[in-house]
Amino acid sequence: MKLLTCPMNGPRNIDEFQSFGPVRARPDPNATADREWSRHLFRAENRRGVVVEWWRHVPSNYFFLAERDLVSNEIIRTFDASEPRDRA
Amino acid sequence: MPLRLLKYGLSRDYPVSGDIPATPELKPAYDVVIIGGGGHGLSCAHHLAKYHGIRSVAVLEKGYLAGGNTARNTTTIRSNYITPEGIAFYKEGVELFERLSQELDFNVMFSQRGQLTLAHTEATMRSFHMRAEMGKHMGTRTEVVDQKGVEELCPLLNMDYGGALEILGGLWHADGGTARHDAVAWGYAAQASRRGVEIHQRTEVQGFEVVGDRIRAVKTNRGRIACGQVLIATGGMNYDVALMAGVELPIRCYPLQAMVTQPLKPWLHTLVSSVSLHTYLVQSSRGEVVIGGGSDPYQLYSTRSTLDMKEHLAEGAVHLFPFLQGVRLLRQWAGITDMTPDYSPIMGASPLANLWLDCGWGTWGFKATPVAGKRMAQTIADGRVPDILKPFALERFETFRLLNEMGATAASH
Amino acid sequence: MNRLPPPFGSRIDRSRPIRFSFEGKAFDGYEGDSIATALAASGQWMLSRSFKYHRPRGILSMTGADANALVQLPSDPNVAAERTPISEGMRVSAQNVNGSLERDRDAIMDRFGRFLPVGFYYRTFIGPRRDSWLKFWEPIIRRKAGLGAVDTKAPHRHFDKTHLHCDVLVVGAGPAGLSAAIAAAEAGAEVVLCDENPEIGGALSYGRYDPAVLAGMSSRLAALPNLRVLTGTVCNGWYEDNWLPLIQGNRLYRARAREVILATGAIEQPAVFRNNDLPGIMLGGAAQRLIRHYGVRPGDSAVVLAANDDGYRAALDLLDAGVSVVELVDPRPAGGVGPFEAELRGKGVAIRKGATIEAAEGTAGNRHLARVGIGGSWVACDLLAVSIGQAPAWQLPCQAGGKVGYDAATQTMTITLPEGSVHLAGAVAGTDDLDYAIASGRRAAAAALSRLGHTVDEQPPAAGPRIARPRYVQPIVADPKGRDFVDFDEDLQVKDLQNATKDGYREIELVKRFTTVGMGPSQGRHSALATARIVAEATGRTVGEIGITTARPPVGPETLGVLAGHHEVLERRTALHARHIALNAVMKPVGAWWRPYYYGDASNAEEAVRQEILAVREGVGLLDVSTLGKLEIHGPDAGEFLDRLYTMAHANQPVGRVRYCLMLNEMGSVVDDGVAYRMAEDQFYVTATTGAVARVYADMLFWNAEWRLKVDVLNLTGAFCGLNVTGPKARQVLEALESDIDFSRDAFPYLSGRDGTVAGVPVRVMRIGFTGELSYELHCPSSLAPRLWDAVMAAGRPHGLRPYGLEASRILRLEKGHILIGQDTDAITTPDELGFGWAVSKKKPFFVGKRSIEMRARLGQSRRLVGLQFPAGAGNIAGESCLVLRDGAPLGQITSVGYSPSLERHIALAYVHVDDQAEGSRVTVKCRNGELIEAPVVGHAFFDPTNARQEI
Repeated sequence: MKLLTCPMNGPRNIDEFQSFGPVRARPDPNATADREWSRHLFRAENRRGVVVEWWRHVPSNYFFLAERDLVSNEIIRTFDASEPRDRA
Repeated sequence: MPLRLLKYGLSRDYPVSGDIPATPELKPAYDVVIIGGGGHGLSCAHHLAKYHGIRSVAVLEKGYLAGGNTARNTTTIRSNYITPEGIAFYKEGVELFERLSQELDFNVMFSQRGQLTLAHTEATMRSFHMRAEMGKHMGTRTEVVDQKGVEELCPLLNMDYGGALEILGGLWHADGGTARHDAVAWGYAAQASRRGVEIHQRTEVQGFEVVGDRIRAVKTNRGRIACGQVLIATGGMNYDVALMAGVELPIRCYPLQAMVTQPLKPWLHTLVSSVSLHTYLVQSSRGEVVIGGGSDPYQLYSTRSTLDMKEHLAEGAVHLFPFLQGVRLLRQWAGITDMTPDYSPIMGASPLANLWLDCGWGTWGFKATPVAGKRMAQTIADGRVPDILKPFALERFETFRLLNEMGATAASH
Repeated sequence: MNRLPPPFGSRIDRSRPIRFSFEGKAFDGYEGDSIATALAASGQWMLSRSFKYHRPRGILSMTGADANALVQLPSDPNVAAERTPISEGMRVSAQNVNGSLERDRDAIMDRFGRFLPVGFYYRTFIGPRRDSWLKFWEPIIRRKAGLGAVDTKAPHRHFDKTHLHCDVLVVGAGPAGLSAAIAAAEAGAEVVLCDENPEIGGALSYGRYDPAVLAGMSSRLAALPNLRVLTGTVCNGWYEDNWLPLIQGNRLYRARAREVILATGAIEQPAVFRNNDLPGIMLGGAAQRLIRHYGVRPGDSAVVLAANDDGYRAALDLLDAGVSVVELVDPRPAGGVGPFEAELRGKGVAIRKGATIEAAEGTAGNRHLARVGIGGSWVACDLLAVSIGQAPAWQLPCQAGGKVGYDAATQTMTITLPEGSVHLAGAVAGTDDLDYAIASGRRAAAAALSRLGHTVDEQPPAAGPRIARPRYVQPIVADPKGRDFVDFDEDLQVKDLQNATKDGYREIELVKRFTTVGMGPSQGRHSALATARIVAEATGRTVGEIGITTARPPVGPETLGVLAGHHEVLERRTALHARHIALNAVMKPVGAWWRPYYYGDASNAEEAVRQEILAVREGVGLLDVSTLGKLEIHGPDAGEFLDRLYTMAHANQPVGRVRYCLMLNEMGSVVDDGVAYRMAEDQFYVTATTGAVARVYADMLFWNAEWRLKVDVLNLTGAFCGLNVTGPKARQVLEALESDIDFSRDAFPYLSGRDGTVAGVPVRVMRIGFTGELSYELHCPSSLAPRLWDAVMAAGRPHGLRPYGLEASRILRLEKGHILIGQDTDAITTPDELGFGWAVSKKKPFFVGKRSIEMRARLGQSRRLVGLQFPAGAGNIAGESCLVLRDGAPLGQITSVGYSPSLERHIALAYVHVDDQAEGSRVTVKCRNGELIEAPVVGHAFFDPTNARQEI
């Protein structure tokens, strides 16, 4: 079982967490053309590299961010959403 | 005894067939460059060469032939989907499998022993009725069976009467079956190369030369190739390869795991799949029981296995067939699946005029190997998308014309 | 009898004889014997027939890894006879035989090998007809395939799982593992040492070593309370972040180790020559294990093929065990004298250098080894001990990220691991000399300890030379007549691999897939090295370029039972479960929940449901709605939060009012509905559908992680129960109860909510109308729900109150045309398709899905959910999911259908073409039997279309 270090609860088995996928930009719905809006809905961050993702620690319902490498599965760091993000 | 065995027995030397020629030198240009030497790419190459007379074809494979999802999938072949567009397409796929060994003169061991999907909830029964009604209407053999019917089709199942996972009924798909995945790829490779298609193993695409709305050349680790048409059929690498051409696909990659037991004398004669348990089982002609289930819970480009998934699949298998407690597991593995938002593939045109897509095959691509290759070859040869493929266009995500097959895909692929 | 006197036989207890049977014949052994050793002691060497040619096979390695020694127990197929202890009365039989082991009719296959070249099944069995494979050939192949048979009546066995945490996990208790574990524990680390064998020591327990070495380590180990030893425990895989399954009998330890030291040893490799698979030909280590562990003399007259000291040691052991050693053959060129040569010669053993075994011949039917060919002449013997090379046990290291290499000079496989928390020690690291192995264990411990932050005082001993002189000279003597087996499990010969490369299967993974080499029970343990060498030679590449196939878990076979463990299915019951049972409810699982389906006699379900519906329509009914999702939203931004999440306006919702709420996803598809009761300016109580609440709750939290509004969301689903009191007499029932709530029509109007107590139970009550009747939904803490239920039942008795179940509830809502999310909606349903324009605020600037439903409306809509009504007494009724056709094309489907006792006819909800949505249109429905019928479109609310009843 992989470990994920929750910024609030420390290292825990990853099955205590739920992935909410890479952080997405939130375009202003009222200032976005249809084509761009559908791109926003359906496109997915899937590059072979490091992504910033939302994770939820299910028992404590705490949402936080993690930088994870989609190829090696290495979790580079985890941090609260109020902290500055290096990427994305 | 089949005649060929007699021939083997009487010939002094091993009768070499030379299925896969050694990788030749790259030529400077090809009419068609197929990226991805898996089942789909090879099938397309075969159809181009045999039915459209297009023989200046290079199939580029980064690793070894058919070493990606072709070699890793659990070979479910079926057409019991939900949407009429999906059913029409997969039905043609099943029909091509029925003739495939003859077509390729290579035994792909298509074993049409039927697929039984189990419902443990009324909601699942309702979804089975939807699939059955649509399936019957579209001319496939798909029907809902009650508890008695399930017991007749698979008498060894734990029905769990009165329990929380009582089997309420099933979806019986007599058209369902399996085939030997490698043989499908090798058969296509052998036929294609006999007609002049070049298969280049260990040839990795590193970029494209795009001029205007066309790809002028494909850049590989072995050199540059000028191209007429280009097809992307790279399974788990589709997102990446398309992105090199500036095409962004609505795809996320997840690992899909499976495992296999030691060989046993045959006891399981159909494919059995449980929606609630996210587990399916099928016994191969070698006697091994292949067990699979749902995808991993987060995005990843890795074929590592996990203990958690193995434990989960074992729980499901032992629940369905409690006597499997003492059966031993031999091996587990994983593939990288390119999942689309609606669990249907993306086939047809791309924003570039000479780039064609055979992508988004997620966990369900093997069964479509013959039909996707046939129809993509037709598309490339004619320069336009045939009606049967039109619903699968990339643009459907701009027009909300989704082909939602999630309910028919989550448990058995 | 081949039994040796003590001190041979460390594992057996001669005071405890055990009788068992093999192939129907009685055999005797001792406690501690394995099936194979007890049989061998009685002279039964043949254990199985091979997979393809049905050749006799016996003990090869004594490690239990190969198919040679797999047998069948009545309820257990593919059991490793070499490792499975015998027990009194055990019934053992051979598997994969047609007839008996002794007389296997399929042994004739051995004569037809030339007709069955590698991959023959891909080129044959195709015709003559399209279904010939399925109907004719496959059944034959399937019968021949497989090894053991499952017992479909096998008794249930108990398995359990537990967790284990340690600083250092050492896998393998041979000399390297022992020294590593001791060094780590003496430094103060919490150490677990596991080994698959019943005793510690590894090769020290069966090899020809000074017993003082093991005794010394054992006593140091015993003095370390922080060193836990798990013998009989297989470490069967390495997974991310040092998560390792340790299997001990029926128990699975899921171990988490901060550091891992792999001292998994090496795997002796067989030699390849004609008939190298005969019973009587075994690895040197197997002969030594038989002698020392089990006191079994492995033969009378032996030849030893040795290319290293271990082989010479084995020859000396054989002499000690009373075996006459005819000759020792050493394939290494002459020159140099090893440490044991003089001793062997002194005992009269001829040593021939620079030679090898060229072939072997068997007794009648190849049942046992009879003689071996050396230098063109035959030497009679009944035992050939082979000790010509080893491969490091690469499985665990490779799973942990190790890379396999090849040293051509010494013909050795090598393993390198990236720097990290996994370390190698001993033979797996290439240091197999005893002193070096012990030193490498200490070195690995030092590396692990320094990563753990321990100060390592002692300077770790320097690495010794990996190999002093060549000791791995694996002869491959291909024979034109074949039967020179590379893979015993799969009956593959040298030419099979060569021929595969000729057909273009040149990559090692393709060779594996085409020939099945390495795919059997031993997973390439005894074939990977030889395969790489043969393929390298056939394709003109180096062994290093060829490599080996990916080592996937598990390391060795493991039962599904131990993986599944003691699995419990998740079930949830409401606090009123016992009440339902007492009332004779028929319970059904809905998702994880058990819910009453109806109350009363199962033989007359229809009537029971009819009576329950009648009670609600004419009197009063009571439904347990505790499974509903119940969420509480607190905080100054609570109204704003709901405004963003749901389609209706909630920020301006007055306190004390209840509003329908409809949730969309970003795509604009309907994902949930419920009601929101504003309890205070900063507090809402919101319901969600039973199946969706977990996702709705998570989504709420997720959105707020992005929005950062000042709200808290609580999931009270399990904490609160819900009772729906519904029917024209509902008010009378509630007014009969002691309460501080005024239930009168004016004080408590439709779509409002009140807090208070009823019958002494604190409640939140909402007036809503899923059934279309006057309804009060009472929510209270779960622990008090039975009390409230009893009070309502008692107060309702004079009014004919009846509890009703899910089936009646479904009909009641269908009569009102209320949708069920997930049944009447699918993944792409929009509010417009449901005719729910009224539920979507046009004024709010934003809510999730707003942008998308506007865009989808512009793109045009093709279907609409409408009511259908079938004429009373209609012959064929379309069931749920039946297709709605338009010009023969499937346009929509029936989503809900049922018989309405109130309307005395069947009614349905269905998607129809948008042009057919008007009341009075007629649509074509295809019944399950294929018949096409017509049905008129009617309004959604079939019953009481003006909704007068719910507002009384």
